[in-house]
Amino acid sequence: MAYAYRTTEKLKQFFVEVGELAYFAMRYFKEVLKPPLEFKELLRQCYHMGNRSIILVGVTGFIIGLVLTLQSRPTLMEFGAVSWMPNMVGISIVREIGPVITALICAGRIASGIGAELGSMRVTEQIDAMEVSGTNPFKYLVVTRITATTLMLPILVVFGDTIALYGSALVENLKGDVSFQLYFNTVFDALEFGDLIPATVKSFFFGFTIGLVGCYKGYYSKKGTAGVGIAANTAVVTASLLLFVVDFIAVFVSDIFYDL
Amino acid sequence: MAKTTLENLRLGIFVVIGTALLVVASYLIGNRQNMFGKTLTISAIFNNANGLQLGNNVRFSGIQVGTVKAIEMLNDTTIQVYMIIDRKVQRHIKKDAVATIGSDGLVGSMILNILPGKGTDATIEEGDILKSYSRIASQDMLSTLNTTNENAAILTSNLVHVTEALTNGKGTMGLLLNDTLMASDLTQTINHLKNASSNADHTLRKLNSLLDRIDMEKSAAGILLNDSVNGIKIQNMIANLERSSMEMAKMTENLNLVVDDVKEGEGVVHYLANDTVLVNTLDNTLKNIEEGSVKFNENMEALKHNFLTRRYFRKLEKKEKKQNNEE
Repeated sequence: MAYAYRTTEKLKQFFVEVGELAYFAMRYFKEVLKPPLEFKELLRQCYHMGNRSIILVGVTGFIIGLVLTLQSRPTLMEFGAVSWMPNMVGISIVREIGPVITALICAGRIASGIGAELGSMRVTEQIDAMEVSGTNPFKYLVVTRITATTLMLPILVVFGDTIALYGSALVENLKGDVSFQLYFNTVFDALEFGDLIPATVKSFFFGFTIGLVGCYKGYYSKKGTAGVGIAANTAVVTASLLLFVVDFIAVFVSDIFYDL
Repeated sequence: MAKTTLENLRLGIFVVIGTALLVVASYLIGNRQNMFGKTLTISAIFNNANGLQLGNNVRFSGIQVGTVKAIEMLNDTTIQVYMIIDRKVQRHIKKDAVATIGSDGLVGSMILNILPGKGTDATIEEGDILKSYSRIASQDMLSTLNTTNENAAILTSNLVHVTEALTNGKGTMGLLLNDTLMASDLTQTINHLKNASSNADHTLRKLNSLLDRIDMEKSAAGILLNDSVNGIKIQNMIANLERSSMEMAKMTENLNLVVDDVKEGEGVVHYLANDTVLVNTLDNTLKNIEEGSVKFNENMEALKHNFLTRRYFRKLEKKEKKQNNEE
């Protein structure tokens, strides 16, 4: 009985959270269109989220490209299909691995950062103070951050993809005597707009998800210093989980539109 | 403030580079699909698209020159494939070029190949329809292979029967393979055949030498073989012989008639041949004549001793003796 009660409570809590998140998102859309725009804050957030993540995304992308090529090489060699490596790696990185890995890295770095920052602001009652002083905290803190993540993530994905492909090309160049020109020629031969456009569009949604979850968790963090930790932690977990849900929906939709 | 500007500058560079990368990637992909640059559209009609898809590459003599733009089904057996061709290669493709659908490697995607014609025709223009050549689809090949396989199965089952029969020693071939006696017989036969052929060879040599020795002009055989006049004579002879044989045939017919008459007719001969009473009578008559002649001889002997005729007989005897002496 207690178990059933707990389950229903958790279920209720889940639905409440989903509803609150949806409301939070709606509020974002309402506020983002309303002037004035906190442009400077937006740029600052963009810098912090974009530029500061380049190294992390770059290193991850490079290693992913490198490892993917190294790992699939023996299997492809078994089939005598090493020449198909650029096609395989190119398509898998551009379509799926690049956006998802970059988004997960950013969820770890950005969502937790936003969660902790807004959480501590909530705990130290800075948000309340802003409300009192007549500044719209939602517009200043949340809208700028969500917009920044939404705009920055696709660019980070492009960077990540490029570096990952470069890492893969490096392996092919060293191990398989494939020139960089031939490698990238083959990659772009294999790629179509049907691969690039859905992946790019998907990245915007990933960015939006990361910003939204991070802001939501921080904005509504519980009182006390423990609340900050919880906000940061749950922001990462929820954002990562939600990323996969969004990814699934994105693939599902692009499947319909692009007829994979 | 300076810090913010530097941050913004870095952000700007980051965004510009990121966007540029995206644009370059899009351009490269688009360029592959001939979305930019001057192009022209031509088409070809096929019976079977062989799994050709939009965006598949078009190659002219093995060089990438464009992409498949549209595939349209005109009717149940006619498919029109539109392709975008780079204008740079337009002058190389003539109107007599032939389009075929092939695959890029064994497992690669389909490609549309344009094979150059004789090169004497005019260059292609916008909207031209190229001649096409439908390659054998893999399915057709497989169905043909299937038939071949079925035939092979029948053949092998027959072969099994044959080999079984062979191993069991059935039939001539089986005997040949298994019967050792027959093998020795065969060896003997072959030996005999060898002997016979060597004998025949010997005989032929002899015959040849004999023929060489025949004087073709003077000997009878030579004349027979060579002389045309004698040949005609012989022909005549044969013709005469034929005639004679025909006459003989007539004669035998007549004879047959006579014999028939003798058998069944009413003449004397018939009676002579058939009437036993007459034969007896004749026999008796002949006996009587014989007896008569014996008696006549007796009478003659008596006459010789008769005084009246003795003189005459002595004269005859003397004459005979005289003649014998003279001889």
